[in-house]
Amino acid sequence: MFSHVMAVLQPYSILTIIIGTVAGVAIGGMPGLTATMAVGLLVPFTYTMDPALGLMLLGGIYCGAMYGGSIPAILLNTPGTPAAVATAIEGFPMSRKGKAGLALKVSVIASFTGGVFSVFILLLFAPMLARQALHFGPPENFLLALMGLAGIVSIADENSSLIKALIAGLLGMIIAIVGTDDMSGSLRYTMGYVELVDGINFMPALIGLFSMIQMLELAGLRRTHKIDMSALHKKQKSEPLPKGIFKFIALGAGTGTVIGVLPGEGATIAAFISYNVSKRISKLKELFGKGNPEGIAAAEAGNNGCVGGSLVPTLTLGIPGNSVAAALMGAFIIQGMIPGPDLFTQYADKTYPFILSMFIANGVFLIVGLTVAPYLARIALIPPAIMVPVVATFAVLGSYALNNAIFDVYMMIAFAGFGLILKKLGYSLEALILGLILGPIAEGGFSQGMIMGKGSPWIFFESGIAKVMWVLIILLLVPPLYSYWKNVAMVKAPPKEALDDLDSLNEPE
Amino acid sequence: MLKKSILAGLALSLAFAAPAFAGDYPSKPITVIVPSKAGGSTDRTARMLTETIKKQNPGFEFVIKDIHGSGGQKGFEEIARARPDGYTIGMVFTPQLVAHIVSKRARYTLDSFHVIANVAQDPGIVAVPKNSKIKNLADLAKAAKAGQLTVAVNGIGSDDFLAAKNFEAKAGVTFNLLPTKGSTEQKAGILGGHFDAAFMNLSQMIAQHRAGDARIIALLADKRDENAPNIPTSKEQGYEVYMTATRGIVAPAKVDKAILAKLDAVAGKALASDAFKAAAKKGNIYLKPMSGPDYLAYLKQLQADTQAVYDKAPW
Repeated sequence: MFSHVMAVLQPYSILTIIIGTVAGVAIGGMPGLTATMAVGLLVPFTYTMDPALGLMLLGGIYCGAMYGGSIPAILLNTPGTPAAVATAIEGFPMSRKGKAGLALKVSVIASFTGGVFSVFILLLFAPMLARQALHFGPPENFLLALMGLAGIVSIADENSSLIKALIAGLLGMIIAIVGTDDMSGSLRYTMGYVELVDGINFMPALIGLFSMIQMLELAGLRRTHKIDMSALHKKQKSEPLPKGIFKFIALGAGTGTVIGVLPGEGATIAAFISYNVSKRISKLKELFGKGNPEGIAAAEAGNNGCVGGSLVPTLTLGIPGNSVAAALMGAFIIQGMIPGPDLFTQYADKTYPFILSMFIANGVFLIVGLTVAPYLARIALIPPAIMVPVVATFAVLGSYALNNAIFDVYMMIAFAGFGLILKKLGYSLEALILGLILGPIAEGGFSQGMIMGKGSPWIFFESGIAKVMWVLIILLLVPPLYSYWKNVAMVKAPPKEALDDLDSLNEPE
Repeated sequence: MLKKSILAGLALSLAFAAPAFAGDYPSKPITVIVPSKAGGSTDRTARMLTETIKKQNPGFEFVIKDIHGSGGQKGFEEIARARPDGYTIGMVFTPQLVAHIVSKRARYTLDSFHVIANVAQDPGIVAVPKNSKIKNLADLAKAAKAGQLTVAVNGIGSDDFLAAKNFEAKAGVTFNLLPTKGSTEQKAGILGGHFDAAFMNLSQMIAQHRAGDARIIALLADKRDENAPNIPTSKEQGYEVYMTATRGIVAPAKVDKAILAKLDAVAGKALASDAFKAAAKKGNIYLKPMSGPDYLAYLKQLQADTQAVYDKAPW
């Protein structure tokens, strides 16, 4: 093991990791450029590199990009990656209150903790965990997607418009129907467009629904909204982390790692589930959706926890945990290292340095994040007259860059227009996105489960894991439904101002 | 009048643009369209091949352009409608290339392409969980007759699907077919014991087979594969069910004959070279060099076979 540590501490290795991580942060920070794309594009270039260095470069990019997605999410309400959507829900309101610096700080510390924890797990327990993950079949995948979708109800309980949130979620799932039906191979509502055969692309949809709408709204304001600048003038270091935040970071790190280990599940679902759970256990529930650092902590620790987690089945069994891990697996294969037990014996001199290098990668983005956060935070102060055109340009570029397709740009604009109308009518766009992203996962798991069960839905209750998951789903659903029912029954929903009142925050759990 | 002169002008400009003289070909980098993901096996095959051609023939430069999605259809269409000046060629893979034609989705036919060569293949296999009682194809047929088996294939219309359908017909059984999204789901399902069997490709399961995490019970071919000599073929087991996923290289059909001849020659030379064979072995790519005419004949036969399956049960 010592020689592996030394291999990582070589100057060349360190330099490679730093380049990879910083590039990853930058790529993750660009809306439209995702970690999957970055790793996929770089894999062929590592072909001619020293295998260990090539893998370290990719590992750095993976870690960096997962964190980088949170920066534009917080500052511009533009998630750099789909996994940063939950971060945007909490981070952007904090920016509007002049707390962008704190939000960025929470996000980088949570990302670091989640990342390091998951790499530890990967290093110590990979083979054992991978075997456990195999018990997860299509029926359990369906339930996991349901757990994520339970978040729609949570989104509702603060706006107390359950019906509208459910409608928005359903709309998202309906939009996600477009594309190939995997079960029959037939095309659904593609209207002859080859671009729609694989379904609606998430990234243009996200860019449209988040950044473009944000810019349209900013442009439509009669008066520019004053951002409280005083908080920014304070020294970054003097701003302490909110009390008890580590509970949420730990929650996110754990959830992220576990979900990352499951084959085929991704960082997005991990971020949403840990965000949703943290909302349930938080004492400051009412602040969720209005800028609660706890939400950022859970979501960011969650999506970075996926990094190490997703590599567990990838390296030990050759089953990639998500699309980034799949691209990374290509890099191993191209070097003749076929994932499986061989990686930890025959190729140990390359695999272990790769795993260890990710500790450094996490450290690198922690330092980068903490140093540049105060400067980045000023982005939130840019006046709309400059911000709107710049971000709108990035939105168009980002949508185009994804597949070099102008079709995606039209898609982004269509989503922006459609989403703006929904938002003005009081429908939650977060619910729409949850439906859009999780709908296909739920559908796949459901239809495969039904085939496995030969038409009987009983299969969704059969395994021990499934039973536990049902309990969790009910636990996530009942409290918000109960409080909603209570509000409706009393027909005296508290006025909005009361939410800001401190007294109302101390309600018994 | 105006219309006419514009048309005439267009015709003229086309006439001047088209003849990239074979003598000084190539005078600029050639774009190779890979209708698949960067880092995937088709992409790796294309990169290894172009790298070899470049080394053997000074003056040849290549740019790889990955157009993934829609089962390759987007990329195939882009090759078919590329400007026929010899500076855009591309990779194709089966059976998707012909499956899109058969299902009437493709905006191309086999006539849209000049087939340069086939490069590699990934033979079909049948895999079962490691603890499964099914040890060979006869067991599989018997178990399928006794009760419905859940058998995973990678999507409708894929090579796995066609192979499974073919096996059903030959063995007189009906599977409970479960389409997955990608081979990852198949692997996870077989390793976790969620599926009874899966029709897949050799490269996807060979590592797991060697590690004892899953068992490959048959190679869907008439000859054993040199990369896995101890896996029995379907022919040995008495089932004439063959399937392989080929990866070839093509150019748009209308490219100048002399340029095509040049491309055929450089590709043939690269395929025969030891350096290319060594690179492929290292990168887990199984070579199956076939000349242009041979590969075209193979594609036509495959299209007819696929048509037969489609006519019985369209998707």
